[in-house]
Amino acid sequence: MSELAVAIAELKEDEVNRLVREKIEAGVDPLALVDECREGMRLVGERHRTGDYFLGELIMSGEIFKNAMGLIEPLLKADRPVHPLARMVVGTAKGDIHNIGKDIVAMLLKAAGFEVYDAGIDVPPEVFVQKVRETESTILGISGLLTTSFESMKLTVQALEAAGLRDSVKVIVGGGIVNEMVQKYVGADAFADDAPEGIEICKSFAQG
Amino acid sequence: MEDNLKTRVNRLETVISLGIPDRVPSVPLIAQFALRYRGVPQSDGYRNPQTTNRALVETFDALGGWDGQLAANLIWVNSSWRISAAPMPMRVPGRQAGDHEPLQAVEMEIFTKDDYEAIIKRGWNGFLAEFLPRATGRPLEKIDATQKKLLKIYMDDVKTWHEKGVPVLSGATTCDPTMILSLSRTLSQFTLDLYRQPDMMQAVMDAMVDDLIQNVLDDTAVTGLKYVFFPLERGSGFFYPLRIFERFGFPYIKKMADAFAAAGLISILHFDTDWTLNLPYLKDLPRGKCICELDSRTDIFKAKEILKGHMCIMGDVPATLLSLGTEEEVVNYCNKLHEVVGKDGGFILSTGCECPIDAKFENVKAMLATARSHTYPGHDK
Repeated sequence: MSELAVAIAELKEDEVNRLVREKIEAGVDPLALVDECREGMRLVGERHRTGDYFLGELIMSGEIFKNAMGLIEPLLKADRPVHPLARMVVGTAKGDIHNIGKDIVAMLLKAAGFEVYDAGIDVPPEVFVQKVRETESTILGISGLLTTSFESMKLTVQALEAAGLRDSVKVIVGGGIVNEMVQKYVGADAFADDAPEGIEICKSFAQG
Repeated sequence: MEDNLKTRVNRLETVISLGIPDRVPSVPLIAQFALRYRGVPQSDGYRNPQTTNRALVETFDALGGWDGQLAANLIWVNSSWRISAAPMPMRVPGRQAGDHEPLQAVEMEIFTKDDYEAIIKRGWNGFLAEFLPRATGRPLEKIDATQKKLLKIYMDDVKTWHEKGVPVLSGATTCDPTMILSLSRTLSQFTLDLYRQPDMMQAVMDAMVDDLIQNVLDDTAVTGLKYVFFPLERGSGFFYPLRIFERFGFPYIKKMADAFAAAGLISILHFDTDWTLNLPYLKDLPRGKCICELDSRTDIFKAKEILKGHMCIMGDVPATLLSLGTEEEVVNYCNKLHEVVGKDGGFILSTGCECPIDAKFENVKAMLATARSHTYPGHDK
């Protein structure tokens, strides 16, 4: 485990910034730095799963990761792109403007290596479909914290079917009140009421 | 009618003081559902609180009634511009949202870091006196006049409920500093503030809490209702480890609940999200003077184990069950609540937070009927 990965996992913001700058100055391969940062975030996720970390630590680590990537990304060469685990679209269902869960999931997905397209909040089914098509995404994550979002989640899945995309796109629904009953009602492939759990499900989708 | 009010008040006071009543009382949060059920656009309900009151009363009759009305209409009481809860922007039906959509809070930064310094210097009320005109573009006198007008409507609607024999439970509304600051800064920014500048955050909270307490004492003196609606969400064990709760959450909740109890008030601790980890701390709050209201994400059965004999529990029929479940599933869940959480009293049946506007009528009716039929044999022995 690298010093940088450990510093991220320990939420040592100043130390992470210092280490990233030092490694850049020392000529360390930026792709290797990305891997170290992701390893740190993987540790954060592990600590959340074991109950040592909470949502607060996920938010703090996400901020640290984002700032580190802000230093590293300009150095990544266009001819050596970081290959994403998968491309995916996330958004909050139409009629619902809750963004906290969606934003945290998007941040964790990026840290885990996904290419994430955020469709925003209050997203109509046709916009989700359009975004999935445009980005050639293979996973769609729909968030909702109101029961009224269930209907628009269902309509989104139906719109994916009507567009001929359902077979090539996995759909996961999430939010504090989402459960198996909602997954079945909506016609999704999975549900998650916890951000790190949702990331693991998306990883399993990406691995086929 | 007076007997009915007395019966219901006695039933509620018995469970709150941890006694065994004649049967389980019910207090659903049901205003938005009532509007939808009566075919009234949500926007009309927010334009005219008395429209909501009428829809509530009609829904009460159609559902067979309940034992307490958490608020008389859609207004949460703040008797002056000294708003006790967070002054956060809302997406109001008919304005920023569609006529039939529910009210939703907008997660955006309305406080800057500079505002923290202002709160430390001036206290919560002093800060608001400067902040509210700046944020709304309205002078304090106009904000005060609007609040007083809303309070008059609220008290008229309280009278309607009392004449119908139903007690109204909200005589004031407040939040703890964590909830207010998290809503006003956004969860993400507030969290970064907490982790990066903990000492300053404690100073801000210290500067807020006495004003928050005094505002509630002032409000309940005006309304004459002895219940404090006290929403808590952002400080739970879902969000933060206990070391954060022990420094930034519980000391303020306790100081407030203790002060309210000392003034003869009952705190309705409205816990959204999962507070299971935090439940043991609630045993340090005044016995029989608070209600632990859960939204279905906290383990209510664990809450009973921990708080039995100390605090009345209220909840927690899940929104998803009321919206997508069958009548039989609702009844089975409620019966489990009555048998386990309601054992030996100390339990109020309620919706898990607000009853969803798209709940099935038959599900809500079945839920309330279980409370009416769940009697406590020999309760008077």
